[in-house]
Amino acid sequence: MLNLINTFINSPLDQFESQTFFSIFTPFMDMNNFNITTFALYTFIVLFIIISLFMFTNNNNMIMGSKWFITQEMIYDTMVNTIKNQMGGKLWGFYMPFIYTFFMFILVSNLLSMIPYSFALTAQFVFIISLSFMVWLGMTIMGFYKHGLVFFALFVPQGTPLVLVPLLVLIEMMSYIMRSLSLGLRLAANVMAGHLLMIILGGLLMQFMSINILTTILGFIPLLIILCVVMLEFAIAMIQSYVWTVLMASYMKDVQYLH
Amino acid sequence: MQLVLAAKYIGAGISATGLIGAGIGIAIVFAALINGVSRNPSLRDTLFPMAILGFALSEATGLFCLMISFMLMFMGA
Repeated sequence: MLNLINTFINSPLDQFESQTFFSIFTPFMDMNNFNITTFALYTFIVLFIIISLFMFTNNNNMIMGSKWFITQEMIYDTMVNTIKNQMGGKLWGFYMPFIYTFFMFILVSNLLSMIPYSFALTAQFVFIISLSFMVWLGMTIMGFYKHGLVFFALFVPQGTPLVLVPLLVLIEMMSYIMRSLSLGLRLAANVMAGHLLMIILGGLLMQFMSINILTTILGFIPLLIILCVVMLEFAIAMIQSYVWTVLMASYMKDVQYLH
Repeated sequence: MQLVLAAKYIGAGISATGLIGAGIGIAIVFAALINGVSRNPSLRDTLFPMAILGFALSEATGLFCLMISFMLMFMGA
């Protein structure tokens, strides 16, 4: 039987805390990094979902996939079109699998976190911002590797008067550096704010509906509004993964072609 | 201590006003989409992803404010 006392959530932020399920203890070294936490468990669930999406739809490795394979083809086609439009040129094909991987991971973990009482993987600020910082760092290193010192031409827009160059370089460099933070912060803040909003509204309505029988009936009207919020959150879960993809492709274009 | 608590709630309220800008931004994005589609309906398929992107970007800036207000209300002592 469901124990309602233990599932009561004291603070709306409790849902983002990760517990340790399994840990290794040795007297001679620190093995904390091998703990199986909620975070690790949900990462494995996301991996399992993505792999099974591909395995169950490919129709026993025949040439044509099953009917369900059209979902995979749609996602792939959307990604190809988006990245091709954003990056242009000939190099988009090299980086398409990389960006597609990010898209699938963020999409599946966003949608997985919409299941009630589950864990929001993309609301973990440390994880998502370190992910975006690593992407940014890798792109910057690739830009230097590819263009050498000409890479700094990225910070000077074409047709700038010489007087304005020092100021513009500062501004462009700031905006380039802030990309590392803003890419991850956008996703994590969206998901976190959405989950907090849903749990706060749900908690308020739960209190309101449990007063007496009249408020239980009256409470169905705000329940419809909360349903709209939940639908918006589902939309945001998908839109944010798309936004990550588009921005990553456009950053990649900046690094590859410099303007 | 009561003063700190009051300041916390006032700060949460003030930071939520940043959502005004996000609301105006989202409205501008969709107004421009309606304008563009009504002028040239055949461009709908190209304009819609751009509008969704603009919606998400402008919404994210507002959500930073909302997040700060949630943090002030529920985090820490």
